[in-house]
Amino acid sequence: MIAALAFYLFAAILIASAVMVVTARNPVHSVLFLILAFFNAAALFLIAGAEFLAMILVIVYVGAVAVLFLFVVMMLDIDFARLREGFQRYAPIGAIIGGILFLELLLVLSGWSFADQADDLRLSPNPGASVTNAAALGRILYTDYVYLFQLAGLILLVAMIGAIVLTHRERAGTKRQDIAVQVARSGSVVLEEVPVGAGIKALGIRRPPEPEAEPPKVTHDAHHGGHH
Amino acid sequence: MTWTLALPELVLAIAGLVILVAGVLPKQETFFPVSMACIGSLLLAAVLVLGQPEGTALGGHYVADDFSGFMKLLAIGGAAIGILLSLDYNTKEGLGRFEFPLLMLLATIGMMVMISANDLLSLYLGLELLSLPLYVIAAFNRDSARSAEAGLKYFVLGALASGLLLYGSSLVYGFAGTTNFDRLADAFSADSGVTAGVVVGIVFVIAGLAFKVSAVPFHMWTPDVYEGAPTPVTAFFAAAPKVAAIALLARVLVGPFGDLAGQWQQVITLVSLGSMTLGGFAAIGQRNIKRLMAYSSIGHVGYALMGLAVANDVGLRGLLVYMAIYVAMNLGTFAVLIAMRRKGRAVEQVEDLAGLGRTDLGTAVWMAVFMFSMAGIPPLAGFFGKLYVFLAAVQAGFWTLAVVGVLTSVVSAYYYLRIVKVMFFDAPAGALDPAPASLTVVMAASGLFTLFFVLWPAPLLAAAQAAAAALLG
Amino acid sequence: MGGITEMTIGLAHYLTVSAILLVLGIFGIFLNRKNVIVILMSVELILLSVNLNFVAFSAFLDDLAGQVFAMFVLTVAAAEAAIGLAIVVIYFRNRGSIEVEDISTLKG
Repeated sequence: MIAALAFYLFAAILIASAVMVVTARNPVHSVLFLILAFFNAAALFLIAGAEFLAMILVIVYVGAVAVLFLFVVMMLDIDFARLREGFQRYAPIGAIIGGILFLELLLVLSGWSFADQADDLRLSPNPGASVTNAAALGRILYTDYVYLFQLAGLILLVAMIGAIVLTHRERAGTKRQDIAVQVARSGSVVLEEVPVGAGIKALGIRRPPEPEAEPPKVTHDAHHGGHH
Repeated sequence: MTWTLALPELVLAIAGLVILVAGVLPKQETFFPVSMACIGSLLLAAVLVLGQPEGTALGGHYVADDFSGFMKLLAIGGAAIGILLSLDYNTKEGLGRFEFPLLMLLATIGMMVMISANDLLSLYLGLELLSLPLYVIAAFNRDSARSAEAGLKYFVLGALASGLLLYGSSLVYGFAGTTNFDRLADAFSADSGVTAGVVVGIVFVIAGLAFKVSAVPFHMWTPDVYEGAPTPVTAFFAAAPKVAAIALLARVLVGPFGDLAGQWQQVITLVSLGSMTLGGFAAIGQRNIKRLMAYSSIGHVGYALMGLAVANDVGLRGLLVYMAIYVAMNLGTFAVLIAMRRKGRAVEQVEDLAGLGRTDLGTAVWMAVFMFSMAGIPPLAGFFGKLYVFLAAVQAGFWTLAVVGVLTSVVSAYYYLRIVKVMFFDAPAGALDPAPASLTVVMAASGLFTLFFVLWPAPLLAAAQAAAAALLG
Repeated sequence: MGGITEMTIGLAHYLTVSAILLVLGIFGIFLNRKNVIVILMSVELILLSVNLNFVAFSAFLDDLAGQVFAMFVLTVAAAEAAIGLAIVVIYFRNRGSIEVEDISTLKG
């Protein structure tokens, strides 16, 4: 009974926030409603007994994907007002088509029945209450599904390469640490043995040579650093 | 352990990782050596595919048979030549970054996974491993609004298509309790039949895959993406990924859903009719040759799907032969398109080919060979491709398909022959820059194949026959 | 245990919620012609509906394969979102807007 009430509550909030994702005027609000939708979907997963997935949904989706969305929405300087133009015009017809599609799906899905042998055809039946959900998933993920697990890794690699290759730009004038050059550096820096108590002028110690192509501001800062 | 069965994929994946590290470390751009390394690894993978034994492995997610061997060799060949085609163009357009061939290599792994998929989950992961690099390379020219737009369109519609495919997969899983193809076949062969829900699921799966092969109701992205993406990327799109997606469609429909042939044959027949018709008519008014090739490729997919609609061994053999010939002549055509440069700038209008017969006879002759072949004029290879699928359709009594196929071939001959006419009879629009050696080699190789296929069709036919038998097995 | 278990909440309830999400996602893609980011979020909604389906079937079949499938869908969706947003960023850099409908350089 309580489970059923919880289900209806979470499902209602899930659907309401999904509606808001699609119709909100401000994309930032859309992202926030998306996060709410994910939380409620995670609750539905919990009710269905998929605890591990529920946690993954919250951690991966809310923690990474939704934040990525939020980041991009805020990074791009978007004219929000213009974005909604045309939405009102198409909304009624879209709602009608969507409603028909939904009713058709409902017709098909309402009397769902499984295949007669579905019971025997199952690949990885649930081991039962003696094993936690996460452990049960782990048992099959790294054994039966190892090929697909590796493939998922490749897909994430592709995403990484893709995001970098598309958006990363080498800016002119940025400075990078080059360890090889630092290690190989010799001649320009010399260690000298200094008698204790003598002044710098008396010893004739040279200042470090002035960098040539350095912009003036940086040279200034470097001098300050040197004196302290 | 049976993991060694998947050796080609494993070797290619490890090669990709090694090449990635080797490409990232040096200070200077490593586009050329990385491209060569990628082509080398693809050839190595092709050799491994040739020596691959048959069987299923890795928890039943992977299957290797004659069909997968045939399709993988086609996909690998298409991908390797795709990388070769990009060498010169990318360097000249400032796209010569080492990630480009590497993404193509990773996409090829995705294709091989798709072709060897024996489970809805490996199907999906293979498809995504193919699609994600394609989204990126479509937008690879990131300073061009057209390229970014092509990438965006492709991405949005591609993501929608994989969403539909997944929804369909979930319904199929919900009905049968399994995602493994062999077990699905058991579930659907039962006497009790199937529910409406699972049929809806199969339709969603077909829709998702039809998007990837750009068959008719889901073709909207094709002309825009083909036009907007850099030309070598378009060449790549038109060849290897199509092979993989057609292979996947054939395996899914004939394998697990084989007992429901009556249901999906009608869908595929409609898709095939629509694609042939659109490919025949929509290309007529196109001035941009990449757009024209996009419609042409939609038409070719329609002809190939005719073989799948027939769904017997003759039809599948026709499908396989068609895809092999299509890939060969398509890569040749795109070699010509990539070579189209005037004063260092890439040009892509049909008029830019004007008078090519007088300024560069070699290229013009190869282009004419490809155009005649695509139009299906005997004795070129393209004619035989069409012949085998039409024969299959006629034998199995699919008269509508065969008649529409012949009619649309005649219509499409108009725009193919128009290109030949522009090249040989119009006043020159100024000489094009001479084609670089890598492109000339590809043109000549696929041109010779197209010309002389008629003399030795037996090896390809035998291989296709074995592959079709393995699929129906 | 074995067998297809009965639960307090019917399978049809889950399937209905997921169908609503699917329709909303498709609706969002086709109506938000001007805002690519909301389109990407609509894709996420579709994937969420798929995951809900898989989890529900997995629970009612008492089978873990559906949950594994959903997990891979989550992984891939994260990768897809990263690439999609990267493409949106370069699109914005080139055009200064994220509207899709004013795509006029490429027409259908």
